Amino acid sequence: MTSEAAAGKNRSGMGARGLTHATPAAGAAPPVGEHGQSQVWLFLAPAFAVYAVFTLLPIVWTVVLSFTDSGGFNTTARFTGLENYEAVATDPIAWRALWQTILWLVYHLVLAGGLGLFLALAIARLRRTQVMFRTLFFLPHLVSLGVVGVIWANIYDPYFGLLNSVLDNLHLGFLKQGWLSDSLLVLFSVNVASSWQGFGLYMLLFLAGLQNIDTTLYDAADVDGASSFQKLRYVTLPGLREVTTFVVSLALINGLKGFATVFVMTNGGPFYRSELITTYIYRLAFQAQQHGRAAVLCILLSLFAITITIVFNRWRRRIDQ
Amino acid sequence: MIAFRRELPLVLCLAPVLIIILAPFIWLIVSSLKSPAEIGVADPFAFPEKLMWRNYVDAWNIGGFGDLVVNSLINLCGVVALTLVVCAPAGFALAKIRFPFKEWIFYLFLLGLTIPIQAIIIPLYQVLQALGLVNSLPGIILAQVSNGIPFGIFLMRSFFQGVPDELVEAAKIDGASYYQILTRIFMPISKPAILALVVISALSTWNDFFLPLIVLISPDVQTLPLGLVRFAGTYTSEYRLVFSGTVISFLPIVILYLFTQRRFTEGLTQGALKG
Repeated sequence: MTSEAAAGKNRSGMGARGLTHATPAAGAAPPVGEHGQSQVWLFLAPAFAVYAVFTLLPIVWTVVLSFTDSGGFNTTARFTGLENYEAVATDPIAWRALWQTILWLVYHLVLAGGLGLFLALAIARLRRTQVMFRTLFFLPHLVSLGVVGVIWANIYDPYFGLLNSVLDNLHLGFLKQGWLSDSLLVLFSVNVASSWQGFGLYMLLFLAGLQNIDTTLYDAADVDGASSFQKLRYVTLPGLREVTTFVVSLALINGLKGFATVFVMTNGGPFYRSELITTYIYRLAFQAQQHGRAAVLCILLSLFAITITIVFNRWRRRIDQ
Repeated sequence: MIAFRRELPLVLCLAPVLIIILAPFIWLIVSSLKSPAEIGVADPFAFPEKLMWRNYVDAWNIGGFGDLVVNSLINLCGVVALTLVVCAPAGFALAKIRFPFKEWIFYLFLLGLTIPIQAIIIPLYQVLQALGLVNSLPGIILAQVSNGIPFGIFLMRSFFQGVPDELVEAAKIDGASYYQILTRIFMPISKPAILALVVISALSTWNDFFLPLIVLISPDVQTLPLGLVRFAGTYTSEYRLVFSGTVISFLPIVILYLFTQRRFTEGLTQGALKG
């Protein structure tokens, strides 16, 4: 017991501080389990130690970095006040990345969320073949997004790619595009690849939501002579409200984390036309070595994610009432 | 049979959708068995005259896929095991034991649930570097475990909360310690939660690209997706190698999924909806 405690304390500085700080308070707490109180901290210590070092500390340190001119690893950083914030606010590429990230979220929500809902509604009524369709439709979600990038870069290849050669074969050659070189099309093209990978999960969640709808509601609707459209409109869709808010928030958060497909397929190009906040953070932090500026964008990204979470939690609570 | 006949029209409508969605897989597998000349013709509907299994042998050897697969598996198993070992006790403590600052600690853990990994990557890299963990599998494992801890704790906590308190009280009267209550009573009845956590942490580790890209620099420690991207970037014009390498990267997990799909789907759905 004591040696275990010592090991827990030695694991990391942060964890140890948390432990020693909290132990006296634990002794003063109302005793529920007599010998249990000391065990509580042992239960929490491993998770908290790892989390403190590799997540909490970086969160705090990102904020600190945003006020410094840190860059590279040899220089001694100085505090520069709000300089980085000004630099980002006047950086046209940062604004472009922000706008394109919002567009990217909308594309992902409509393409992946929409396809997920559509397919869930379509296969929910199947009995014999539902598992087969569900399994096969889910396959793209198993492919790592980096690999998805390689696959779709080849699909969009102007000469040997699947898309243009299919169009050629169907005598639809006039529809051929430089899918990844056209500055108006590129963000959408890359998003199709991401959404192809993403929709499977949303489909599963919608399916689970559909299974939770009380079947007697459908029987009642049948008795009332409702058409299948009316059943969709007045039974199915209201029954899916809770799972929909969840899927929407998940899709927005997933979209916000979008990075791999853009990085692999276009690296933000051509001319930053597929740059996202995440890829721009990577460029600033690891290529241009401008940590301070990148940190400002990191904070922006976090605020984005926190806002989405709060808004959707409120929304879900309102539905629950 | 009657049921099947009734759903036949819908099945026929869905078949083209299925073909379009799976087309990338089919096209890649077929193309990966073509000769360079056949790929040059760029006819997606043509089948290879002779199956070029050599493409796979060459891609495997040139790309060093053996090492990549092993690295990915070490990465995956390490993250899943460690996540389970640290999240189960923490989730138990937060669900079933009363102690000071409990709410605060829980909210501290929840904070990480919302913040994207890209938003903390600069200091995270510096921390890993300070600890000598850059460019190593232990480094990537710790970073990914930390990233997964908020969800893992949230999931285990909400499952444990559903277990009646009387069970804990009864065991305590019998003189069981919290450690015994967790390992002897709670873990055995938590199979659904454990399955969910295993599936979700395995899938997110397998799919991760960003952290390996930052942390794993040299080819001998890289994971499968990262190695494939590097390989495809090096042999851009050698389509036969890129195609077969890509198939190597997704085929194992697809086969594994097809064998376990029922439990996999159950774990994923339950876990996602709880979280």
